[in-house]
Parts: sequence; C-alpha cells; structure tokens
Amino acid sequence: MTSLIRNPLTIVWALLTTVTVASSLIAIDGGASHQINTTVTTVVLLIAAFKAHMVIRHFMEVRHAPVWLKATTSGWVLGLFALLLGFYFAAL
Amino acid sequence: MTDVAEGSATGVDQAQRAADTRGHVPGEASMWFFVIGDLLIFGVYFVGYMYFRGQNHQLFLASQARLNVDIGAINTVVLLTSSLFVALGTAAARAGNIAAGLRGFWIGLAFGAAFPLLKMFEWIPEITAGLTPGTNLFFMYYYVMTGMHLCHVALGLVILCFVIRNLKTSIPPKISFIETGATYWHMVDVLWLVLFALLYLMR
Repeated sequence: MTSLIRNPLTIVWALLTTVTVASSLIAIDGGASHQINTTVTTVVLLIAAFKAHMVIRHFMEVRHAPVWLKATTSGWVLGLFALLLGFYFAAL
Repeated sequence: MTDVAEGSATGVDQAQRAADTRGHVPGEASMWFFVIGDLLIFGVYFVGYMYFRGQNHQLFLASQARLNVDIGAINTVVLLTSSLFVALGTAAARAGNIAAGLRGFWIGLAFGAAFPLLKMFEWIPEITAGLTPGTNLFFMYYYVMTGMHLCHVALGLVILCFVIRNLKTSIPPKISFIETGATYWHMVDVLWLVLFALLYLMR
C-alpha cells in the first residue's frame, strides 16, 4: 500500500485528479452565468493541455520513447491547443 | 572493491543513458501509427467544433448549460484512475510480477467499465428531455464526439480483456502486447480530457 502511494505514477494521478477538480470548480463558479469568459476558457484549456501532456509522457511512457515519438506527441498537444485557443480568440 | 562497485555503477549508468538516447517505443509501432492517426482525426473534430462554436457563441453556451458537469468530472477521474492502474499493471508485468500486473489490469478494467454506465446516466435524462443530435449544432457535436469516444472505450475494454487473458495464459506474458493494449487505453483517456474541457468547461 505504501509503495502504491509513493509510486511516481500515483503522484502523477493525484496531480491530474487535483487539476481536474480545480478546472471543474473554475468552470462551475467562474462560468456559472454561461457567458463568454476568456479567463475561464484559457485556464481550462491550458489545464487540459497539461493533463494530456502528463498522460502521454508518464502513463503512455513516452518520456522513455525515441525522439520522433516525443516530438510527434508533443507537437500534437501544442499544435491542437494553439489552434483551439487561436480559433476561440479569433471569433470573439 | 569500492572502485569495482563504482565502475560497475558507471557502466550501468552509461548503458542506461545509451538506452535512454535510443529510447523504447512502448508496444507495437503499428499501434502508435493508429494512435497518432486517431489523435489527428479527433483533432480535426475538436478544431471544427471550435470553429463552429465561434460562429454562434450564444447557442453553444446556452446548450452547454444543459449538460451534467458533475458526471463529466466524475467520468474524467474514473478514466484517469483506470489509466493509473493500467500503467501500474504494465510496469508490474514488465518487472515480472504477474500477480500485481493482473491486479492492475483488473482494477483498470473495472474503472473503465464504470465509464459507459455513468455515460448512460448522463445521456438517458438528456435524451428524454428532448436533447438529441437534431436539437442544434452543439448537441450534434456533443453526441457524435462523445459517441465516437464511447466506441473507443468499448474497444479499449475488449483490448484490456485480451491483455488480462495474455497475462493469465502466456508464460512469460508478451510484454509488447501488454504495452500495446495499455497505449490504446491511455489514448482513450487523452481524448476524453480534451472533450471534457471543450464540451463541459470552456465558456
């Protein structure tokens, strides 16, 4: 049990769960009025990008993978969220 | 003696560094080809959603207000927890601890199976309230994207069953097959993390 709690993967999970709860609370409180809110949107999208990055690096074990795989997956996360934020702000 | 130990440790470090430089592709390369293709296809859907959202912010915001954020958040934690145990099971199997590997995959499967059940508790009240893919563009995206994701979850659960069977019957278990199954399952998790932010949280 102690080894499970001290396992780096469990620590990554605890961090991911914490930021999931935080981003939900930010959306529920800050976005309660269901109006455009650039702060809420930027924060929840950046948290989602961070979570996707962490799952890919640690759970999918890409941190030990060859450079081409690290570059492709990081490129997907960066490219996707840059496009999402870009389209969001361009349409305001 | 100390020198020998240090020399040995240095040798191990060098071997480790060399291995790190080369890197290890987790699972079959063909699965990664599929995973990257799937990430790109979903990426197109995500960007398309954002584009059409920009055409009609008010419709999307009003429609988002009808969703159940609580179930969405619980399902996110459910998938993250499932992924954790699958990752722990993979590491245990690679280290030769088959019992711990099996335990990890069984727990991962149990959490994974909770996702579609919770999704039904979310969808059924929405559909009975008249919210269907034909309601508006937001709900069309909502049902198509979460529906496609649910198909991936269903396939992932089947794959996890095959991994469990491999751990039970193959001596020694085929590690690359276990890593391949785990890679697919984690991809399902990654896609949901983006869907959760886009459909439920952003404003």
